[in-house]
Amino acid sequence: MNLRVLGLLLALLGAVAALSAQGSKLLVVLEDEAEKSKYSQFWASLEDRGFQVTYKSPKDSSLSLFAYGEPAYSHLLVLPTKAKGLGPNLTPNLIVDFINAGSNILLALSAQLSVPSAVSSLLLELDITLPPDRNSLIVDHFNYDTQSANEQHDVLLLPSPQASRKDVKNYFSVDGLIAFPHTVGQVLGNASPLLSPVVKAPSTAYIYNPKEEFESLEDVFATGSQINIVSAFQARNSARFTVLGSVEALEDKWFDASVQLPGAGKKSEKTANKAFAQKLSAWTFKELGVLRVGSVSHYLNEGSQKGVSNTTAVGAALDINPTIYRIKNDVHYSIEMSEWENDHWAPFTPAAGDALQLEFSMLSPFWRLDLQPTAQTANSSIYSAEFKLPDQHGIFNFFVEYRRPFLTSVEEKRTVTVRHFAHDEWPRSFVISGAYPWIGGIWVTVIGWVIFVAVWLYSKPAQPKRQLKAGNVKR
Amino acid sequence: MAAATTEKTTTGFFFEGETGRNTRGLLRLIILCTIAAAAIASRLFSVIRFESIIHEFDPWFNFRATKYLVQHGFYPFWNWFDDRTWHPLGRVTGGTLYPGLMVTSGVIWKLLRFLTLPVDIRDICVFMAPAFSGLTAFASYLFTSEMSDSPSAGLLAAIFMGIAPGYISRSVAGSYDNEAIAIFLLVFTFYLWIKAVKEGSIMWGALTALFYGYMVSAWGGYVFITNLLPLHAFVLICMGRFSPRLYVSYTTWYALGTLASMQIPFVGFLPIRSSDHMAALGVFGLIQLVGFAEYVRAQMPSKQFQTLLRAMVLVVFALAFGFLVLLTVSGTIAPWSGRFYSLWDTGYAKIHIPIIASVSEHQPTAWPAFFFDLNMLIWLFPAGVYMCFRSLKDEQVFVVIYAVLASYFAGVMVRLMLTLTPVVCVAAAMALSQILDTFLVASTPDEGDANKKPQANGTPAGANGSVDIKQQFANLADGLRSTKAPLVGIYSYLSKSMITGAITAYLLLFVLHCTWVTSNAYSSPSVVLASRLPDGSQHIIDDYREAYYWLRQNTAPNAKVMSWWDYGYQIGGMADRPTLVDNNTWNNTHIATVGKAMSSREEVSYPIMRQHEVDYVLVVFGALLGYSGDDINKFLWMVRIAEGIWPDEVKERDYFTSRGEYRVDDEATPTMRNSLMYKMSYYKYNDLFPAGQAQDRVRGSRLPAAGPELSTLEEAFTSENWIIRIYKVKDLDNLGRSHQEAVAFEKGNKRKKGGAGKRRGPRVLRVD
Amino acid sequence: MKLLTILTASLLPFTALAVKKSSGDRFQQHFAKQLSNAGPLKLDDKLYGDLTKTPRDYSVAVLLTALEARFGCQLCNEFQPEWELLAKQWTRGDRNGEGRLLFGTLDFMDGKGTFQALQLQTAPVLLLFPPTTGPNAKPDNVPQRFDFSSGINKAEPIHSWLVRQLPDIPHPAFVRPINYLMIGIGITAVLGVITFFTVAAPYVLPIIQNRNLWAAISLIAVLLFTSGHMFNHIRKVPYVAQDGRGDVSYFAGGFQNQFGLETQIVAAMYGVLAFATISLALKVPRIANPQTQQIAVVVWGGVILGMYSFLLSVFRVKNGGYPFWLPPF
Repeated sequence: MNLRVLGLLLALLGAVAALSAQGSKLLVVLEDEAEKSKYSQFWASLEDRGFQVTYKSPKDSSLSLFAYGEPAYSHLLVLPTKAKGLGPNLTPNLIVDFINAGSNILLALSAQLSVPSAVSSLLLELDITLPPDRNSLIVDHFNYDTQSANEQHDVLLLPSPQASRKDVKNYFSVDGLIAFPHTVGQVLGNASPLLSPVVKAPSTAYIYNPKEEFESLEDVFATGSQINIVSAFQARNSARFTVLGSVEALEDKWFDASVQLPGAGKKSEKTANKAFAQKLSAWTFKELGVLRVGSVSHYLNEGSQKGVSNTTAVGAALDINPTIYRIKNDVHYSIEMSEWENDHWAPFTPAAGDALQLEFSMLSPFWRLDLQPTAQTANSSIYSAEFKLPDQHGIFNFFVEYRRPFLTSVEEKRTVTVRHFAHDEWPRSFVISGAYPWIGGIWVTVIGWVIFVAVWLYSKPAQPKRQLKAGNVKR
Repeated sequence: MAAATTEKTTTGFFFEGETGRNTRGLLRLIILCTIAAAAIASRLFSVIRFESIIHEFDPWFNFRATKYLVQHGFYPFWNWFDDRTWHPLGRVTGGTLYPGLMVTSGVIWKLLRFLTLPVDIRDICVFMAPAFSGLTAFASYLFTSEMSDSPSAGLLAAIFMGIAPGYISRSVAGSYDNEAIAIFLLVFTFYLWIKAVKEGSIMWGALTALFYGYMVSAWGGYVFITNLLPLHAFVLICMGRFSPRLYVSYTTWYALGTLASMQIPFVGFLPIRSSDHMAALGVFGLIQLVGFAEYVRAQMPSKQFQTLLRAMVLVVFALAFGFLVLLTVSGTIAPWSGRFYSLWDTGYAKIHIPIIASVSEHQPTAWPAFFFDLNMLIWLFPAGVYMCFRSLKDEQVFVVIYAVLASYFAGVMVRLMLTLTPVVCVAAAMALSQILDTFLVASTPDEGDANKKPQANGTPAGANGSVDIKQQFANLADGLRSTKAPLVGIYSYLSKSMITGAITAYLLLFVLHCTWVTSNAYSSPSVVLASRLPDGSQHIIDDYREAYYWLRQNTAPNAKVMSWWDYGYQIGGMADRPTLVDNNTWNNTHIATVGKAMSSREEVSYPIMRQHEVDYVLVVFGALLGYSGDDINKFLWMVRIAEGIWPDEVKERDYFTSRGEYRVDDEATPTMRNSLMYKMSYYKYNDLFPAGQAQDRVRGSRLPAAGPELSTLEEAFTSENWIIRIYKVKDLDNLGRSHQEAVAFEKGNKRKKGGAGKRRGPRVLRVD
Repeated sequence: MKLLTILTASLLPFTALAVKKSSGDRFQQHFAKQLSNAGPLKLDDKLYGDLTKTPRDYSVAVLLTALEARFGCQLCNEFQPEWELLAKQWTRGDRNGEGRLLFGTLDFMDGKGTFQALQLQTAPVLLLFPPTTGPNAKPDNVPQRFDFSSGINKAEPIHSWLVRQLPDIPHPAFVRPINYLMIGIGITAVLGVITFFTVAAPYVLPIIQNRNLWAAISLIAVLLFTSGHMFNHIRKVPYVAQDGRGDVSYFAGGFQNQFGLETQIVAAMYGVLAFATISLALKVPRIANPQTQQIAVVVWGGVILGMYSFLLSVFRVKNGGYPFWLPPF
């Protein structure tokens, strides 16, 4: 965990100009230079945001994702290719290693060019399924662009994407319609918690293969909102992988195209593609929704240290993060969280209806508490909780695990030992009222014995009896 | 002991009167010192052969605890909460160990520093046992001198005790275990007890109590004393030998000793709450009753009243006994502790407490073991016991009881050979000294004059109890039949020299035997194995330390290591890494958890290991070297212990073939071959051999052609001779796949399209 | 006429009902029977089929056993009373069958078909059929099978097993009825012993207090234990074993095992040696006649030497590579 934070910081230092929290080196894989011009505005916006963009063709032998075993780029943007595969340097295994190394990928597909099997099998590893037959695309007879695709109905016009749940932040909202021409629909498996849809197709959309004739439509691959146009995958190491169904949405001509929905009263308007493309790339390349854990501190909240609010004030007197506590101690735990917003770290606040939680666990949680925001600095907010340790000794963890869609995952584990009462930490016997009879008994015995001895010594027994007794004793 | 015999003769010849006594005393002292030296010297084989190293398992914990003690001082040790064992439960170590051993060596360490002798604590621990064995020899000398009035018996007992393998087995240099000092305390406590019973003095009783307390702080075997002394008192009472001496010594011992024992946190209130200690309490009550009855009877000599009194005593005793039983049944008093109970009901442990039955030193003893451990003493032993009957004094009654009980225990449990050895030495010494005293007399008796020695005929003063019993004795054969005739002595020098020579020869043979046994059987610190190469030269197999040091060097300081509990202490001591379970088997469930993880499929084990934060798994695997003490052979115990807790998830029967065999080859059951232990043991083992030739040299069977596959673990380390294999537990897959899928993907076979279950079955819709 | 038809028509459904009993009142009927005969139902193939028919909203525990003497199933006969006791107590435990658990016993004689159907070679076998419908139903209709292989013949483990298998139903506790007969016998025995002693004390006491007796007892005990008798007792070793060539082998190979006879031989040797020692130590010096004494010394010395060397040779058999020996053997 710490290493991850450290890595982030280092990357940050590495890329002063960049707005990305991770790094500025971006590799764009596109087949030939000719295409490059089609996306000039997109490239421009990327370079403005400080990315050092490198353009390579998949056939290019010098193309390699790794240099000396380390990822050579922080980000990868793959445009669709005519070739059947992505070539030897972009095999699925390599790309998976690239993700495991923590780099981000934006993968753009297009229904015009059939999707390489390598790509679809890679997506299967992420539990994203593409339509089985290569060049089938999403068609919607209600939300299409009347100006460009009046006949085909294969250019979708969608409003700004909404957050799937209310307690999830929405990083992709734009005003205006977004155009998705010739989109390859994706279906997300519902097993994986790492997947989250960004743009879903409207309920009237379905997947259709123009090569087929109309009759054979009874078996549709997917329909309605099961189809995803843009879907996001965030690996456990919070490397990001975004699938964009239609690459043309990034083209200049759609950035400043004007589109119109079918039906009366719908007037032509300009697309919001530029804004959307900016936000999508921004999220994918870690300009948004990156969390950082600052200082984590826990200390004994008893005696002299009781109710110490800010740990710096007391200084040396207060011992922060001790390794051992005693059962039934009162402890204070606080964690500093900040979120990367485009170009700076800002205080992090969870979305409405969501909370940052602390677990105090051994094998299973003994406490699960909502962390309360207690203080804020310029670029971080401090959450803290105070509680009494359970009556159970063992090796416990202060555990903060925060995994939300579109936010990098936070996993902070601080291990402490909780010991038993020491021999001199129990209440003394004379404090316990229940012990009085026994204490009394002891003293009665002692005094009684002394008295007995005294009496015995000072009483002169009669002679004959004594002898008789002695005789008995010997016998 | 040649010394002992010569000493007898010379003193017999040359010295008379006062000077004689002094010279004898001096000689005794010298002899005892030499004996102690011999005892210590004969225990140093392992140090000379290997190095000054702590031996097998438990000593490693004691050593670790001692280091903690000398580092942090006494009170931190007393309240020690150990967070590097039994992860994540931890262990209240200060309250669950017998601190006697550690404290002793800690004190010695401090003392030496005070004398400006900075000795490494490890060396103190290593040489603790031999040093105390010297003391034991001395203690047994004192004990035996109390038993018999022959001057040589004590010295013989001392040397026997010094070199008897039965005691050496647990007290060679480096076996730094509780027994190291406990046996000395045992013998010395008995000596003090005998002294107390003889003298009837409170001082000796108090001393007994003191050393009893020390014993309690040192070894769990103190229960043996706790039950033996009351038994002795009880038998004496039954023999009508109740005397104020007995009363004083017993009550003193019980009162003070119980208080002393309750000072040890681990013992705490057991002395008044557990059945193991109830005998002592009961006899304490009884002796009060009897004392009272005796007193009253002394006051009023009416016959009927006396019978009434005796009946009353019996009734009260019966009632008290019944009350105790009632308390036990109702649960106020804890029933017999498992280990102790399994001594009486020998089948008990195997069924109810597999964890006890699984320990090798809790197995019954075959006769060769007896002979191996106490060569000729074993047949001198009965003779000595018989001698005790000759003049049945109180202390000799004690020896008889001790002999019978201890030989029973030693028969049931191998490790209790340790408690048998002292009494064997004493009894044998008594028998042998009797022979020597008889045959090593220079002067020959001339015909006619009988009983020149006053010893050994008629019943001495101690033997007669109350009046009526005396009468019974009177009209019985008084004493033993073999001692009815008056004592004459040995006439011819021929027979004297013959017997003396024979005995000397036997004694020399005994010495040879002891040395041989010690050097061959009891001097290897099972951490380092020694084997002989074809050319006869010695080859050291050091896999254990290799692996433990690998852990120490290459893993995070608090990387949790999961292994079977046998290796817990060693990992804690040598590798200094936290373990899940260790040889202090205080939590059966936790051990069963590890057993379940070892004996289940990977899919079952992995969550368990994640939950317990396991980083590395360590298995011991002997198949390459033919090292039979490996985990596959212990595997069934893991299964049994796990089955005890999860009878529906782990079943012992599933690990046996249909013909009820325990196999690892092609016949092995699927459960066996999918168990984590099997996979970890044989992972990549086939690669050592040409295809299909893989051979298990312990089970002596050919392994399946295709070795097992591991997906949730990856091999981290394998020692030179493959005895120890260490695996790293993988983290969850980064892309959220199952490990099997991830491994398959690494191997390059792609998931087929629609693998996510889109086509078959009803379509699973995603909701979010 | 018309009315009759109507009547019959109206009756039809009832007849149908009568023919086709629902699982509910199947349970009621069997449970009533079980209550009445206070013990497991005696089953045959047909009843068994009826009981274990799906769908059922109750669970059945069936013990398949072979009680007849000619099958020689000892465990069956040992376990049968326990089983009946358990069933009895459980039934008494919930009289109105909230647990909806039925007990049945199927003897091989009545249930050959079932045994063949289940391909059972061994008996007893305890099958527990979980309910297939109702609150705590199991999806699959496979009976749980109790493992008798560990030689369990008591009711308690079965009870705990049932409790484990059927967690969420009322579990009547299992209490063993107190065996008054045994207690009575015990008390009378104790009283008898006491009276016997009070009466016979004058004659018995001398014997009890005879030292030779006690010496003999303790010596025998010591000899037994030190010659590994407890090992035989615990490990149940064979008395003697055949070696390959058809004749008896008295000494087991190997350090860690032994035969019954072997230990007795060893005990005898120890005994002889000890006795010889005793005689040398106590008897010989009491012989008044020099010649006799001389002979005795020689004899006993020889006995010790011979026996000891034989003992050593035996030990060499047990433990190869033991270097020491004495002249004769």
